[in-house]
Amino acid sequence: MHFPKFEYQRPTSVEEAVQMLKEYGSRAHLVAGGTDLYPRMKYNLVRPEVVISLKGVPVKPPAIEGGGLHVDALMTLVDVARSQVILERIPLLAEAALNVGSNQIRHMGTLGGNLCLENRCTYYNQSHTFQYVEPCFKRDGDRCYLIPKGKKCQAVFMADTVPALICMDAKVEIQSETKSRQLPVEGLYTGDPLSPLALSEGEIVSGVIIPNSASIHGSGFIKFSLRGGMEFGAVTVAVLLHAADDGRTCDSARIVVGSVAARPVRTLKAETTLAGQELSDKLLREVAKKVATEIRPVMHHGYSAPFLRECLEVHAFRTLTLATKNIRRD
Amino acid sequence: MTSKNPETHKLDYVGKRIPRKDGPDKVTGRAKYTVDIQLPGMLVGSILRSPYPHARILNIDTSRARRLKGVKAVITSEDTLGMKYAFVDTPRYPPDEYALAKHRVRFIGEPVAAVAATDPYILGEALGLIRVDYEPLEAVFDPEEAMQLGASEIHPSHPKVKEPFPNIAGKTESEWGDIEHGFAHSDYVREDRFESHLRTHGYLEPQATVASYEPGGKLNVWTSSQGTFLKRSKLAPILGLPLSAVRVHKAYVGGAFGGKVDLFSHEFCAALLSMKIGRPVKIEASREEIFTAYRHGEPLIAEIKTGVKKDGTLVAQKFRIINNCGAYRGTGVVVIFLAWGYMMIPYRVPNLKYEGFSVYTNNPPRTAQRGHGCPQIRFAVESQLDMIAEELGLDPVEIRLKNARRQGEQLPNGDNVHNCGLKECIQKSAQHTQFLEKYGKSRPASSSNARLHRGIGMGVSAYITGSLIYPNSSAAIVKMNDDGTATLLTGALDIGQGAETILCQIVAEELKIPMEEIQVIAADTETTPTDLGSWISGNAYVTGNATRIAATEVRKKLLDMAAEEMEANIADLVLENKGVYVAGSPERRLSYQQLITSSIQKRRGDPIIGEGHWRNVRDVPFHPSLATTKGRWSDSYAFDAQVAEVEVDVETGQARLVRAVTAHDCGFPINPLLVEGQIDGQVSMALGHAFLEDVMMKEGRTLNPNWLEYRMPTIHNMAFSEYIDVITESYKKDAPYRTKEVGEGYVSGILAAIANAIYDAVGVRLHSTPFTPEKILRGLGKIK
Amino acid sequence: MKRLIELSINGERHELAVEPQTTLIEVLREQLGLTGTKEACGTGECGSCTVLIDGKPILSCLTLAMDCCEQHIVTIEGIAEGDQLTSVQQAFLDCGAIQCGFCTPGMVLSITALLERNSRPSETDIKKALEGHLCRCTGYNKIMEAVKKAAEHMAAKDS
Repeated sequence: MHFPKFEYQRPTSVEEAVQMLKEYGSRAHLVAGGTDLYPRMKYNLVRPEVVISLKGVPVKPPAIEGGGLHVDALMTLVDVARSQVILERIPLLAEAALNVGSNQIRHMGTLGGNLCLENRCTYYNQSHTFQYVEPCFKRDGDRCYLIPKGKKCQAVFMADTVPALICMDAKVEIQSETKSRQLPVEGLYTGDPLSPLALSEGEIVSGVIIPNSASIHGSGFIKFSLRGGMEFGAVTVAVLLHAADDGRTCDSARIVVGSVAARPVRTLKAETTLAGQELSDKLLREVAKKVATEIRPVMHHGYSAPFLRECLEVHAFRTLTLATKNIRRD
Repeated sequence: MTSKNPETHKLDYVGKRIPRKDGPDKVTGRAKYTVDIQLPGMLVGSILRSPYPHARILNIDTSRARRLKGVKAVITSEDTLGMKYAFVDTPRYPPDEYALAKHRVRFIGEPVAAVAATDPYILGEALGLIRVDYEPLEAVFDPEEAMQLGASEIHPSHPKVKEPFPNIAGKTESEWGDIEHGFAHSDYVREDRFESHLRTHGYLEPQATVASYEPGGKLNVWTSSQGTFLKRSKLAPILGLPLSAVRVHKAYVGGAFGGKVDLFSHEFCAALLSMKIGRPVKIEASREEIFTAYRHGEPLIAEIKTGVKKDGTLVAQKFRIINNCGAYRGTGVVVIFLAWGYMMIPYRVPNLKYEGFSVYTNNPPRTAQRGHGCPQIRFAVESQLDMIAEELGLDPVEIRLKNARRQGEQLPNGDNVHNCGLKECIQKSAQHTQFLEKYGKSRPASSSNARLHRGIGMGVSAYITGSLIYPNSSAAIVKMNDDGTATLLTGALDIGQGAETILCQIVAEELKIPMEEIQVIAADTETTPTDLGSWISGNAYVTGNATRIAATEVRKKLLDMAAEEMEANIADLVLENKGVYVAGSPERRLSYQQLITSSIQKRRGDPIIGEGHWRNVRDVPFHPSLATTKGRWSDSYAFDAQVAEVEVDVETGQARLVRAVTAHDCGFPINPLLVEGQIDGQVSMALGHAFLEDVMMKEGRTLNPNWLEYRMPTIHNMAFSEYIDVITESYKKDAPYRTKEVGEGYVSGILAAIANAIYDAVGVRLHSTPFTPEKILRGLGKIK
Repeated sequence: MKRLIELSINGERHELAVEPQTTLIEVLREQLGLTGTKEACGTGECGSCTVLIDGKPILSCLTLAMDCCEQHIVTIEGIAEGDQLTSVQQAFLDCGAIQCGFCTPGMVLSITALLERNSRPSETDIKKALEGHLCRCTGYNKIMEAVKKAAEHMAAKDS
């Protein structure tokens, strides 16, 4: 299966990359691992005139600076999963990275690429030479094939590392030719499936900064899929619990769910239910129920909405249980 | 796993776990598949496909495409001879497919035109420049809807079908005994409906063909297939070429599983384009095209009414099968015949009525997938049998033993099961898995995990070996080389099952020549003799016997020459390592090299060549009637009983196959290592069928045309697979041996066993595949 | 517009004319005749196109040739030493882990990379390393056996 034709640029630094972005504007697309962009290009869903390959930009190792850990966006997912400092300080991120795609994809794909993963829908993510020829909303058309009378796009957010990063209150670092800005990771996602990323033209995601966690905390991550590997999740749940000194009372919680909507969802009501409470099986079941009512999962990839709701409750409970078990003192 | 049959005299090669002959080529990347063939001046080709499920073609304008620089030819049906072809070509079922649509398209993806160009970019642009005007027609996708009066007509119903249903491609009927009398005298009768879904082969090597037409009129073809002789027989006539003008070369095949038997449009188009242009043309389908426009397995609806005595003896069975065959007849009329077969072989049914309909719908035509109807049928029959057993207070093992075919039993069509090991398969698989201790006691997988439940289930199946259908026979030639090594010429095609290896083992055994010193030349329609092909489960039995006969002829000539040269009796001569010696006096020895030299000198130049041929059911000229099932079918029936242990997560509905035990009567294994591999692969395909795989279609379009969403098993889903041999036959020198197939029969019993095991684990009885988590949760009442 | 690049493949340097959109697998199969690397899907879902780049298992169908200039590429044709197969290749033969053989080259390379990094992989390690490889023929049972056998053999050789 071959690519459409394009021009190729290979910057050797982030600065050079943003300069090129400015120069080419909307004609160019950045690519790091290529595991998301390239298949979409082969399906003719996106046709950049210029591909700016970031494979020539050196990758900075994770660095402890200020109150947190700085991770380069160009770090491959396998390196994130295996990094000693990440495993020690943010095992949740390492766990999430280990769940992405396959071993080969983890060797190619980067953290930044996962953050910028395009939303997906089975009707969208294929060629359209003789099937679904009339474009859907995501292809600048006028219809939705998933919900035939639907008035809007339903493409779902599928990146695995993002729920973990949001749990950690991570910030994403964005650079352009003129400035550099930071925003909470969840701020990167618009919730609009047609344009899921809050990035302007000329901007590049250059890193994430993960603040130190409170000293007593536990995290859990579960990506539920039919096969258990080489799949996008049916539901993905990340949980971070901050505990009080007794190690049993929850100070605060983050419960972030992926693969259920156009952007990752923090279940604020469910999180509030945990605050100040003693962690018990009964409480966790109650919270899991709240998670499943707070979110209305969109059907996707052959999974029906009722099934996803049921799975959401089950996996929210399991992830909360895992996080509780993992509570430790740093 | 090694053959323990005491009748087997000392065998050095047959029955041994010998690594495959083509292994080194495959593990080093040297093996050339069709996709790897590169020829000088080769062009690339592609197919333009219909976006409508049903439409009239009003006009095709290829002028702009033809004018594009780099485009060498564009063809539509007008450029063809307008001849039809099909997998089934009989007076009752004449062929109905055109390589390129003529006047009408009947499925999304149907080929309408083809282009050859110098590079893929020009090719893509050219396809976009072909303008086709369509007039859409009403389409129907569900077979039961297509059978309703007033449904849109895809093709006229078969004239010999008396029911007034529209869109009937064919019907099979069979009856014996007195069905109503049978039901009237049954102690318990039940009726159930089972549905099997659309799933697909998932072969790794894409569909691909390279065609190269030489000036002087010879067409060379490399194509990913399941039999070079079969492909040639279909391709040559519609190109207007005699068979002798078409050479289908050998290429390694990257998997097929039934999906590469039919003749495909791209094969014809590559050939015709090459004939027009005078340069080689390669057409390789993309993975998306394979998922959307090529042929998937047949989804069957099975309605079964069964009557039994209270001790579990089957009295009467009535079957109604509906096959959704897609837009053309395809193999649909075969699967409704086979469904009868796979239902009537394993158990004794005194009164039976069968009817099967193959129904047209506006979907891509479907085709055989490993087992060809058997998985779908065994799932239905075995599930219902368990339900019956439960009602009667019997266990799944005893009810199967009660009804299982016995040694030497006659089948309703006149075949005999000969040495049938089914009872032993059932007993041994039950024993090995402690079936009766576990059954009925849905067990939590471990005490701390109440959400995981384990269950056990059994499924029984039987399969035919190498039945009668074109080419109908296999032949082989063994020729000796001057240095005492040998060359085997066989038309057999190795599609991964190890055909070349086992045939080489037979030659090695008969002639006592080491495997590495036997050259196998295979599957070339020009240089090797005819062969059944690798799609009818006949390689080991039919081609194997042909090979044995050829090697035996060589052996006799060698022994004859040796007897003369050494002045010994043939009965005293022993073959060993490319030589012959006199028993008791090993120093009296002549090498094959010496014997061949003598033969040439003393036998008027005879370099020692042997020929052999074989077919199934030698005393009957034709295959059984597809429509009436009358007629002999096979000399060799394979049997098996499989046990599945599954684990179900009652909170998510997710189930997995933990352990599969296959007790199989394959006659005897020529290569136990290869047989194990076949069992493992079929267990994997069955668990995919059961839990993971689903070609999701809506209104004729495929929703999930890629491997991310068509979920074939990965290594995570691997089940622990065990094998129990039930040996009922043995290899014979100087006599035909009966062995039984192993390539297709083990995908069915295990599927049924999984269904039964799920019921055992969580009390949810599923009547349709796949057994999705959602269905299980609904069965448990967790989702409405 | 083609550009001239130099790639190191199986220890040999090759000067090649490529366009920006030319993938590594196209270069290998079509320009160099190294057809051992297979394309079964073209979109990264099956693992058949896996090659080793600087020792890492990478999907060559999603890799641009122009991105590989300073890297050391190894294909299935490059691991055996003449007639001497590697432990992994030999284990595949001995265990019956090959049927149609189409997935074999990619699998062998991923396993080679795994054992290079982790000479005593657990079953979980093996599954994680091979989860991106589809095999339709073997059910993975004998492939798993072959990995374990190769690991044992390599450990014995080292000790």
